Amino acid sequence: MREIIDHRRLDCGLELAVLPMPRRPLVALDIRIYAGFAFEPPARLGLCHVLDEAISKGTARYNGRGLNDAFDAIGAAHWTHPGRELMRFAGLCLPEHFGRLVELHAEMIRTPAFPEDACRVAVELTRQALDALADDPGELARKLLHRRAYAPPLNRHVLGEIDTLAGIRREHLVDHWRRCFTAPRMLAAVAGAVEASSAADVLERAFEGFAGDDPAAKGARPGFTLDLRPGYEHYPKDAEQTHVIMCFPGAAATDPDFPVEQVTLGVLDGGMSGRLFTEVREKQGLVYWVGAWSDQPSRGGAVHLGASTTPENLERTCATLLGEVDRLERDLSEAEVRRAITGIVARARTRGDVTQARASRLADDLFFYGRPIPLEEKIARVEAVTVEDVRAYLLRRPRDVLAAVTVGPAGLKNGLPRP
Amino acid sequence: MPDESTSSPFTQHTLANGLRAVVEVMPDADSAACGFLVRTGSRDDPPDMAGAAHFLEHMMFKGTPRRTWEQINIAFDEMGSFYNAYTSRDRTFYHGWVPRTALEQQMELLADMMRSTLPPEEFETERNVVLEEIAMSNDELSSFAYDFLYEQACPGSSLAWPVLGWESTIAHMDRDRMAADFRRRYAPGNMVFLAAGDVDPDAVLRHLESLTGDWQPADPGPGSPPPALRSGRAARKVDRFHQQAVMLAFASAPAAHPLAETAEAAAAVLGGHNSRFYWNIVQKGLCTRAGCFHDDYADFGLTVMYALCEPENCEAVLEAMRREAENLARGGAEPKELQRVRNLRRTSLASESEAPYYRLNQLVEDLHYHGAPRTGAARLAAVDEVNDARLEAFLRAFPITQEGFLVGVGPRAWPE
Repeated sequence: MREIIDHRRLDCGLELAVLPMPRRPLVALDIRIYAGFAFEPPARLGLCHVLDEAISKGTARYNGRGLNDAFDAIGAAHWTHPGRELMRFAGLCLPEHFGRLVELHAEMIRTPAFPEDACRVAVELTRQALDALADDPGELARKLLHRRAYAPPLNRHVLGEIDTLAGIRREHLVDHWRRCFTAPRMLAAVAGAVEASSAADVLERAFEGFAGDDPAAKGARPGFTLDLRPGYEHYPKDAEQTHVIMCFPGAAATDPDFPVEQVTLGVLDGGMSGRLFTEVREKQGLVYWVGAWSDQPSRGGAVHLGASTTPENLERTCATLLGEVDRLERDLSEAEVRRAITGIVARARTRGDVTQARASRLADDLFFYGRPIPLEEKIARVEAVTVEDVRAYLLRRPRDVLAAVTVGPAGLKNGLPRP
Repeated sequence: MPDESTSSPFTQHTLANGLRAVVEVMPDADSAACGFLVRTGSRDDPPDMAGAAHFLEHMMFKGTPRRTWEQINIAFDEMGSFYNAYTSRDRTFYHGWVPRTALEQQMELLADMMRSTLPPEEFETERNVVLEEIAMSNDELSSFAYDFLYEQACPGSSLAWPVLGWESTIAHMDRDRMAADFRRRYAPGNMVFLAAGDVDPDAVLRHLESLTGDWQPADPGPGSPPPALRSGRAARKVDRFHQQAVMLAFASAPAAHPLAETAEAAAAVLGGHNSRFYWNIVQKGLCTRAGCFHDDYADFGLTVMYALCEPENCEAVLEAMRREAENLARGGAEPKELQRVRNLRRTSLASESEAPYYRLNQLVEDLHYHGAPRTGAARLAAVDEVNDARLEAFLRAFPITQEGFLVGVGPRAWPE
């Protein structure tokens, strides 16, 4: 059955997509604000993480505990996430509490008090989290790769840097909030047991008059282009394994090549029959974890390959990772492409049973495409991909702009293996 | 064969060979999920084969009389399955989540795998994979500290060794001994088949019979004796970590104990969402993560309080955790705290009821510990029964203000 998705811009400036699913037992709300860490002032890196910690610690009507108790009183699951371009505020509740869920989100987004103590604690917790990154080699490797390979401001990490964190004060949070938190900079998606017009009314009332100072902001889509800087660097770390992550240019979400890239990644890492799992783990036993994924900011994209392995297996692991991407150009089979497509389509359909996933997907669509894309439209694009499309995609995107880092007891002795 | 009651969403049946089956009908789901629960885990490993249950789980993907490992992997991916398996201390579970139309194929593949040949030629490669998994786990502070807690707090018991085993036991694991063990552990009477989705339960059970009806019964052997928790403390200095893990454990209710749900609620009040630990430890800037959970088995339970902190904050964090435990024991919970647990459970149950895959995981808990599937309403009723009197009874039966067992893992040799 074709989905009916309501898409509109509210008078307050907020862009909204609603997918009514009347038989569901829940409603999911997903609000994104163009206020992520790419928008931080360069001298205040880490600000968004601090803001994310502090924003729920008091509002015009509630102290921190009172606000959280109010969410709990309706049994709402709710969470926030400071992303690269977007800050995310999401919640899930029983249908009868949807109005209250929106009201509490509006309270938090529109009237944060940023209590002085809470701001100090938020800075301290972010500093500790940054220090603790050393105990998470996978995330540390991602941070170091992006710092090295991505051009500013996309090269930042959510936790910022130790020297920039030290200077963050309450007034910096307030400045960022004033600058970025307005309805015209907000995208909202709703899915579940709610009518579209009713959801729109609730959100209109909640964010009425939250237009900010810049009327030109309505409909504007701030965004960042991803430029990659090639090269390899090893970061020594006392550990049993070395983590390797590498990336090369990929397709933007809006690029016609994007579905082809999804299928290519499916061939590489769509399941246990994927080439990386097969060649690196199943045939050689070099790793427990190996993967391929893509990273899409609003404009541009990068394909990533990663693995963690003991130092004696590192050279062979890296050579196999890169070798398998290159080998696709030569011997990709029809069966592999069909299998990858089947996996992508099945994942999309099975996740369709999860209301929260539907809202999240809608919000992603607003961010990347400026409109909700019906599931069947996305599936049709993926199903149209052929072996020749994948080969052409690989030829158009040579891996000569390749960036990589290793984090662990030993790096690659002779740098990255060349294709 | 099916339940007589027409109101129950469950259909249950036990095959002649002892394999039990439970099917839940979810009329609104577009997808379906199924799996085999095997009632064996690392606590059933002989001590000199610590890690065998988990290694065995890996080997189950490596070949059957009908399929090579490559054919298994391809078959999963060709049906668009979201699939995996896990091994814990007391069970192993294999599962697949597929579009509804692929359920029969998924059942056939999983059933085929359950009679693996454990191909000898794949054993060494998979040994290396497991050794890599152990190395990865050793680089992760939380999992390292969790295993250290069990090793030190339950010495000499079957819970003392890590699920993955140790490098030494994996390095010496013998394939033939594992194979002999396999026939006993994966006896049909020691397994449960589970399915959920918008499915015809009779058709599912008929298909299951055709796939597994010829499995030979076997005696799974005796289970391991109940462990005991000792009091005391232990430190493991590991220089490669930057943070210190602090874990404090107390004996608690086993999974099917009448106070098990109260144990969950007490842990949530202390260290769950919007909890006392969050406001009085994390939001005081003492550490980035502090929490409490109820870890339960059929015959054993623990209340575990934990934190990841900077090494110099260990004393302050421990003192704060003990203070909050003391306050709960002395003053009980506020009404809004217990109401929060109930409210959040109501939403999470609605969420679980949407997707067959989530339901399947819930059914595993029910079948493994309660012996029968429970509806969302039954689960909610159990939570609604938690009240002040029960909380008081729980804290009296399973006190959290005594010494307990304390472990510290990190760059500091703490506790001294």
